[in-house]
Amino acid sequence: MADLFAIWTAAFFTLAIYTFLYKENTWFQIATSIYLGTAVGYGVTVNLKYLRDQWGGIWSSSAFMMTMFAFAMLVGLLWYFRFSKKYFYLYRWPLAILVGTGIGQAMQTIIFAQFLSQVQGQISTPLTSVNNILIAIMVPCVLLYFWFTGYGINRDTGPMRVIDKIARYTMMAGFGSAFGYTVLTRYSLFIGRCQFLLGITPNPPEAKMAFMVITVVLLATLFGWDLYKRQKTPTVLQT
Amino acid sequence: MSILEKIQTIDRRYIYLLAWIAVLYPLLNPLGLPISIGKYSTAYYNYIDELPDDSVIMVTFDYGVSAMPELYPLTIATFKQLWTRDFTIIVVASWLQGPMVMDVLLGEIDPQKDYGKVYGEDWVELGWFAQAEIGMAALGKDIWSTLPVDYIENQPTSSFPIMQNIKTAEDIDLIISFETGTPGLSEWIRQWETPYGTPIIMGCIGVMVPEVAPYLQTGQLGALIPGLTASAEYELLLNQPGLAISAVDAISVSHLLVILLVILGNVGYFLSRGKESS
Repeated sequence: MADLFAIWTAAFFTLAIYTFLYKENTWFQIATSIYLGTAVGYGVTVNLKYLRDQWGGIWSSSAFMMTMFAFAMLVGLLWYFRFSKKYFYLYRWPLAILVGTGIGQAMQTIIFAQFLSQVQGQISTPLTSVNNILIAIMVPCVLLYFWFTGYGINRDTGPMRVIDKIARYTMMAGFGSAFGYTVLTRYSLFIGRCQFLLGITPNPPEAKMAFMVITVVLLATLFGWDLYKRQKTPTVLQT
Repeated sequence: MSILEKIQTIDRRYIYLLAWIAVLYPLLNPLGLPISIGKYSTAYYNYIDELPDDSVIMVTFDYGVSAMPELYPLTIATFKQLWTRDFTIIVVASWLQGPMVMDVLLGEIDPQKDYGKVYGEDWVELGWFAQAEIGMAALGKDIWSTLPVDYIENQPTSSFPIMQNIKTAEDIDLIISFETGTPGLSEWIRQWETPYGTPIIMGCIGVMVPEVAPYLQTGQLGALIPGLTASAEYELLLNQPGLAISAVDAISVSHLLVILLVILGNVGYFLSRGKESS
């Protein structure tokens, strides 16, 4: 019974979200609000569990640990000054710590991981296939496209004009590829929900009935409400 | 209003309706379009297949429930391949809802019953770790203290037999990441691949492919499954048909619809522009 309730609930919320395709409506607003509330609630719970797992049993094991715990709690509480106009500046402290540690951690290896490795990869690419030859031409062209300073650069004539053109075509190909993959992702997400709604194995077959019933109910209420509003709106006579 | 102008001002809801039909029809009546196995899925399959049996693999859920339609078929297929071998598997998540996805997976597969894998001896789930990249760095230095308690039994991580010889990134032979964005591959490369040399393979949503593909060329990424179509190829390689294979027809038809609409829109635009200029 609990499973059936979960299936119908999931089908309802999926379809309620999709009613937005028709227009903004109450079903959509209910679904998004409940989804947001649930997601935030889940997030808070998991965070609290993580905190408990990290500190439970060890926070009072020594004076040092107690001091550290008190400090961490204090810094954590400063986040809530985000909601105070008067003490807003206190909120900047935990933010600064978080941003600072994050950037510091990333900076340790970013030069090797994402810059030097890419340069090495580019240099060591053997020119043995059309793809590799294209990479060897296109990557430097795109880099030069964003080179704005320097003595005697004229982008309208000479080699820079050709380089700019190759760079633009390269970037267009990149954007096109990104767009194509975006379409794939969006449709994949949609198809996944449709598989659930149609009860395709391993999804529960009961979802198909829920899909049909809830679709009829949602569409009837949406169209019915529109019809009701249209009848109540006085007709303006045009002269 | 001419037909050209009508094409360009068509109510978007008709397009949504067409999209629904393009997806629902092939799902209800499979067309059986052929699936050709590409190099990405073959490389991913072979990478896992060629690992020695005693390898220690960390599987990381870098996605939440919202990306399940695209990544879940790959996730479950990967676990099916992993559990047919004698690997040591540690499951973690850098995304909050990652453990929730693993719960769904465990509702579908029983590792002990289906593959004879004992929790705590052959595999363990350590759950979510906080602070994304900083958390990854901490995990690399000390797994026991970053995730002190496991997710399923709520027992100390150090108490499991599987974890006795696994404490830092140096004890891990491979990371398998399923992901939708940040934190994800870039962070794992910065905090694990570069400092410790831990190899990484991954499956990602289609949107991410142009972003992560350069790491394949540099060798920082061992193999990549890009999106649902490659997942279908992987299911075929494993001979484990699942949701990805059943989605392929719908993907093909819906993409044909998008191509048709793009062509129609452009034809309408250029013809009406030519008409205006004349």
